[in-house]
Amino acid sequence: MRKKQSLMKLFVMFVALAFIGLSAGNTLAAEAQFVIVNINTPGVGFNDPTPAAPVGGNTGTTLGEQRLIAFQHAAAIWSARLDSDVPIRIRAQFVALGPGVLGSAGPVSVARDFPNAPIAGTWYHVALANKLAGVDLLPANDDINANFSTNFNFYLGLDNNHGALNDLVAVLLHEFAHGLGFSQFASLANGSLFSGFPDVYNTKLLDLNTGLTWPQMTAAQRVASATSFGRVVWNGAFVTAGVPIVLSLGSPEVRVLNPGAIAGTYQFGTAGFGPAIGNPNVLADVVAAVDIAELGGTTTDGCSSFSNAGAVAGKIALVERGFCGFAVKARNASEAGAAAVIIYNQLANVNAAPPGMAGDGINDAFVTIPAVSLRRADGLAILAQLGGTVTASIGNDPLIRAGADALGRARVYAPFPVVGGSSISHYDTVARRNLLMEPAINADLTHNVKAPDDLTFELLRDEGWTFPDADSDSVPNDEDCNPNSDLSPTIIIGSINTGVPNTLFANGCTMADLLAQLAAEHAGDHGAFMEAVAALTNQWVADGLISGRQKGKIQNAAAKLFR
Amino acid sequence: MAGLRPRSRLSKVFPRMIIAILVGAVAIAAIAVLSLGMTSSSNKAQASTKTPNQKRFKGTRPIVVDKQTGQQRLPNQEEVDEVVASLSVLANRPENLPQAPAAAGGITVDLEGGFGGVMLGRPNPDGTWETKCVFTFSEGAEFLGLVKDDSTE
Repeated sequence: MRKKQSLMKLFVMFVALAFIGLSAGNTLAAEAQFVIVNINTPGVGFNDPTPAAPVGGNTGTTLGEQRLIAFQHAAAIWSARLDSDVPIRIRAQFVALGPGVLGSAGPVSVARDFPNAPIAGTWYHVALANKLAGVDLLPANDDINANFSTNFNFYLGLDNNHGALNDLVAVLLHEFAHGLGFSQFASLANGSLFSGFPDVYNTKLLDLNTGLTWPQMTAAQRVASATSFGRVVWNGAFVTAGVPIVLSLGSPEVRVLNPGAIAGTYQFGTAGFGPAIGNPNVLADVVAAVDIAELGGTTTDGCSSFSNAGAVAGKIALVERGFCGFAVKARNASEAGAAAVIIYNQLANVNAAPPGMAGDGINDAFVTIPAVSLRRADGLAILAQLGGTVTASIGNDPLIRAGADALGRARVYAPFPVVGGSSISHYDTVARRNLLMEPAINADLTHNVKAPDDLTFELLRDEGWTFPDADSDSVPNDEDCNPNSDLSPTIIIGSINTGVPNTLFANGCTMADLLAQLAAEHAGDHGAFMEAVAALTNQWVADGLISGRQKGKIQNAAAKLFR
Repeated sequence: MAGLRPRSRLSKVFPRMIIAILVGAVAIAAIAVLSLGMTSSSNKAQASTKTPNQKRFKGTRPIVVDKQTGQQRLPNQEEVDEVVASLSVLANRPENLPQAPAAAGGITVDLEGGFGGVMLGRPNPDGTWETKCVFTFSEGAEFLGLVKDDSTE
């Protein structure tokens, strides 16, 4: 198919040269060349000879071959998106990594202050640095290091039809992105910058509490920022432009509205049972649930029927985690007539993040209200204010996109407690639709890495990556109606300059391209060619793109083409 | 685990391979000694181990799907060893790395195999997998339910 398209393009180009007398004159597309450097020894990993049946478009006949094809497929997806004159070398192997470890990838090196570096004193992932410099800064080294597990049963198909298995291609797209630029290097433990300099990822991180970007902050401020849930955003033009076409309206939020001392948006965990947040939205006062203290339990754990059900009815019940399952607590809150339930961490999880709450398969069906979890400090802060009135909302904010802030900037993952590099180097998990660069690989991801399906490529563009665009018409080659468009300011047919402005359409074709295409299609039939030109130019007139007089100039020039 | 660290091209592979083989042999010997010393506990549900920095860990989550039975179970001693060793290398974030000038201009730092994202997975009861990409050992250990085994120290 691709070969056929290429032949067609060549033919069109040949006719166009004769027809218009002016070629596009541009260089070939500069898709980044990805090289998978297989460092496995014979019989292992990529070289595993175990026979394998072709699966999901992966035509490999051995396990090793299928692994390599999946790698090459993921690399090809990135190759179609990224423009670089310097090959990107991925040093890769499959090795035993232990249960639960799927694989890893990251940049081999970083570079700063190289030729053409956009920002001085700033680290760049080496593949990006090479692209920007136009030269391989470390020609003796590879650019990305990738290690994946021989123990893990990946789905090796290329069609994303992975079922319950983990899709290797999606994992590779994610990890390669970290190697290409989607990660930061500052220490989240002490806030220090990597070797005394910020990295390019840092420069786009905006902390909404301070109004500062990460390079502008002190080390202590960076540490605090890394745990500011929902308060760190990516301040880059391409990602922000992509947010409205990728993320859906309706941001799930847990907010305390009053008293002012504890008002704000809270980090929360969701439940795997009961209605989802926003179904319905709940705005109510918070009441601490009281129940019987079972042997080993407490009166705050919500593990028995609430003794203050009358006070809880219609309100948001606040209960403490522990002693019984989440679903038991939520069921008791439901049966007490609560509108929603908040479960905050117990002392044993004093520094833990709000958990995702799994059901038990028994009580789940009796939960009729939204349930969320909070970290312990937040639960205690609410509890301390219950001598007065605490009003909270649990639901979707219809004006904010899920995964963005109120100004439409993508939120970066910044949960409490700080969780190493996972924080900050991913998009926030509240994003909807799910994004490739959230910390988890969600089952509904596509293999498309750009808007409208994703925002990974947009983030890399904000850092300096560009897409392959041979004719510089701002349409990527693989989406371009003609990757080598005739961008002459006016339409020239044969030796005749019509003087008619040569409009560039959003799909990457110009008027001259379309006329050349007609000439190619009807090269042996002048009558058919003129009919097609008439139809096309009439449409342009109808669309208000050209005047009737301009139409006449085009048709007159076209009439002389084959004479 | 030495195989996880190489970073240069094939032109440098052979001398590095020799080093890797030597390091690998030492590592295998060390693990063998460690395993022998813990033979009695290797089949316990909550196994413990020592990482190179001498911290002991035990598994507390059923992250292993047994190939024989298909059932989820806690990792045994050897499996905890393997996870800890992998995480220690893959999620490494070394400090004070040397900076070097590039011939074409600029300053570079070799990350020595660290600073990568590590994708982890743990099985859900329904047979699906929950994944998480981590950048540090502690985060990975937390996700996989590996905790310091204070009782043996």
